[in-house]
Parts: sequence; C-alpha cells; structure tokens
Amino acid sequence: MSDDKVMKKENNKKYWQFFWRSWAIQASWNYERQMNLGFLYGIAPTLNRIYKDPKDIDKKKEAYKRHLAFYNCTPQTSSFVLGLSASMEEQLAKNPDDFDPESISAVKSSLMGPLSGIGDSFFQGTVKVLAFGLGINFAQKGNILGPILALLICLVPAWLVTWYGAKWGYTAGNQFLSKLNSEGAMDRVMFIAGVVGLMVIGSMVSSMIPLTTPLHMGTTFKLQSTLNTIMPKLIPISLTMFMYWLIQKKVKTGWILAICIVGGILASVFGILKA
Amino acid sequence: MLYKALILGIIGIIVVWDSRLFGRLNVEQPLIASTLVGIALGDVTKGLMVGATLELISLGLVNVGAAAPPDMAMGSIIASAFSILSGASAQTALTIAIPIAVLGQLLAIVIRMGMSSFNVMANRYIEEGKFKSATNLHIIWGLGLYAISYFVPIFVSIYFGTGLVKSIVAVIPTWLTNGLTVASAVLPAYGFALLLSTMLSKKMAPYFFIGFLITAYANTSVTGVALFAILIAIILDQIIYKDKSSSNDDDSLDSL
Repeated sequence: MSDDKVMKKENNKKYWQFFWRSWAIQASWNYERQMNLGFLYGIAPTLNRIYKDPKDIDKKKEAYKRHLAFYNCTPQTSSFVLGLSASMEEQLAKNPDDFDPESISAVKSSLMGPLSGIGDSFFQGTVKVLAFGLGINFAQKGNILGPILALLICLVPAWLVTWYGAKWGYTAGNQFLSKLNSEGAMDRVMFIAGVVGLMVIGSMVSSMIPLTTPLHMGTTFKLQSTLNTIMPKLIPISLTMFMYWLIQKKVKTGWILAICIVGGILASVFGILKA
Repeated sequence: MLYKALILGIIGIIVVWDSRLFGRLNVEQPLIASTLVGIALGDVTKGLMVGATLELISLGLVNVGAAAPPDMAMGSIIASAFSILSGASAQTALTIAIPIAVLGQLLAIVIRMGMSSFNVMANRYIEEGKFKSATNLHIIWGLGLYAISYFVPIFVSIYFGTGLVKSIVAVIPTWLTNGLTVASAVLPAYGFALLLSTMLSKKMAPYFFIGFLITAYANTSVTGVALFAILIAIILDQIIYKDKSSSNDDDSLDSL
C-alpha cells in the first residue's frame, strides 16, 4: 500500500514535469528545428534519472542527441508525446537489446503532425475566438472582467489537456508498449509509426516551406507557373533533397547553416527566390 | 519616462514569454496586453478600450486594410501606451506602432535564425558531457534572447519616442529584410532533411513522397495526411503481417 503511494507520488512528480516543460517548449524556437531543444529540455530529467550511473554516459549522450531532431507540436498536446517518449526511454533502458531506439523518433514524428493540427485549431481557433469574443464585449463597457474572463476561458482547457496528456501519454506508454514488446509486436509498431511519420514530414515539407520564384521573362513567361505545371512545390522538395544530400555528403552543420542564410539572402537579392 | 519605459518593457517580456514559457495562454493577445499597459500607466479604462479595439483587429473581426502590423502583441503594447500617454485614438496609435512592430519582427527573425546555432552548440555540449549547458541553451538563453527582442524595441520607443525607431527602420534596407525572410524559409528544409536522414531508407522513401505529393497537389493539411497515413499503415500492416499473426487477426488495430 505504501509502495503504491510512493509510486503514485513519483509519477505525479513526473506528470508535473511533463506539464511545465511542455508549456516551456517554445523558449528557444528556431527556424531550423523549431521546438527540438524544448523537447530535449522536457525529456532531460527522465534521461538524467535513467542514466544516473557514470558508466552509462555514452548511452546518455546518445539519448540526448536523439532528441535534438526537428520537433514541432502545440505545447498543450505535446505533453502527451513527452509522456509517451519518456516511458519509451525508460523501457529502452530496461531492455536495450530488444527495443529499437529509432522507434522513439518514429513515434515522435508520427504524433507531432496530427496532435499539432488538432491542438492549434482547438486552442488558437475555437477557444481563443470564444474567450476573446466574450472578453471584448465586457471590455468595451470598460469592465475589467473582460480580460480576466478571457484568460480564464483559455487557461482551463489548456490546463486540463496538458495535464491529462502527460498522464495518459506516460501510462499508456508504460502499459501498452511493454505488452507489445513482450509479444514481439514492436516491429509492427515501428513500421506503422515510420509510415505515418514519413508521410507527415512529407506533408510538412510541402506546407511549411513557403518559397517560390519570382523569375520571369516579360509578362508571358513566369518560371513559377512553368514549375507548377511540372509539379507544385518543386522548390521546397528540391531544397529539402539538396540539404539531405549535403548531410549524406557529411558537410559540416556550420557550413550548411551558412549556405541556408547567405544563400537565402543572395537568392532574394538576385530575385531567384521569394518567401 | 525612464520608469514607464522600464515597466512597459517588462510587460513586453511577460507578453513574449506567454508563448515561450506558458504554452500560449493568450496573455499576448491585445486585449490582455493593453489592459496590463493600462494598469501600469494608471488608466485601466483606456487600456480596456484600446485593447478591445485592437483585439477586434487581431481576431480579424474588423478589417483595417493592409495596415495590420505583423507583430500584433508588440504593436498593441506600444499603441496602447501611446494612446494613453498622448490621448490619440486606438487606430492612430496603431499606425504609429507599425514601424516598431516591423522592427520587432525583424529582430525576431534574426534571433530565431541565430538560435539555429544553438543546435550546433547543444550537440557539442552533449559530446563533452555538459548536459546541463545543453538544456540551459533552451531555458536560459532562449528565454533571455526572446525577452530582449521585446524589451529593447519597446523601451527605446517609449523612452526616446517613436521618431528614433522610425528612423532606424528607415535605415534598414529592403533587400536585407526580404533576404532574411527567404533565408528563414530555407532553414526548415535543413531541419526536415536532418529528420529524414535518421528515418529515410530505400524501403520507406515512397511514404515520404506520398505525403509530400498529397499536400502539394491537393493542399491537404498535415492532420489530413496523418489520418490517411494511419489508414494506409493499417492496411499495409494487415498485408505484411497477415501470415505471421493470422491466429489473432483483430490485433492489428491495437498496434496503433
């Protein structure tokens, strides 16, 4: 009984950690990998706990690096991904031999798309418009209740979704994944997560890189229209594949970043690309 | 004025941290930001009024043409401060706030771009075993730089007046602004490529291109593609793993 209580207390501590660290996920939002450092910050306490032993330092480094990859998700729904990933990291540490570390990255990428789609439209669409629509009405009459009410209406669903997201993500991960693992069904989960993850990334490439070319000759020939007849979003996919190629060629990160920034500015100056 | 500029700068920090530290509770919305300004400058009613007007613009309920500033959060702090300090109407104050919001936007682009270098630094710290330094990049440096990107333009414009900010914005050449915008759109391509380099294999590559093509040709949202992807994955799972688990067929749904 007291063991249960200790366990419950420990788990609650973890949920709070996922909760606050999900909210703080955008503190270092950057163009290249967006909320990746935020996710690392969120999962760091879990990794520190798992790999306490100094002799595990190489595993710890590997795990830290694993979470440096691109990540983007609504903070409130992200707590689910954080909870789930934390429980996957715990299981990986328990059976390093039959748990594929790549499944963690695959699950992350397959969840971030749908969860941010749902999260953004719910919080930034529905809740915000409702709260501030009401708030404006009060504020126009000079009533301070307007902004207070608007904030409260935003806070309550955000609080509930983040908290239960953290809890469900972590517990579902613990019960469900260990069962799958023992049944040897992990490679099926991996496959499904891989398919969903890659399709989501493909969709993001075409929707999150808003680049076109303004090149034209007179008024009749516009290069972008010609490109569109070949394939829409040809520029975003070509750029992504070019970057992929640079990575395969082991070009240093610093150089690639310089290419992106200097190249982007030059391409804009010479009228090759526009955003 | 120093005192007021400081307080308004701090309100700016609270507002920018709303989405950085508090999961976007909408403190950054004009109604809240302007009310905070009103409280700080001792004219709550005016703050509420300006806030309500700006909020209508921000939610898209009232159209002000192409005049809406790119950074509504910073714009609303400055606009409501000017409105209270000078007695200008909300709309007039907003027009004054636009150049400042442009400056803020530019600063934000540069900071977000600069933070891409955090990824390189984090990687090096992790290799050196300095795990704490890696996470500090996020929670200390990230928060700090975002705070500066709001504090400085607000402080400068209140303390020195909008004239100075306007002349700064006039000096920034358009080619640089446009160039930075293009560069900021190129950087995600690298982020996606990095993600792909851990996930892409010859066998799995078609799924990436299917996802890309669906959105490229049909403009389907990421959520829509994800739903298709789940169904495709279930079907493929049934085909690929059929003989291996024919004894418990209905299990395939569970593996989601």
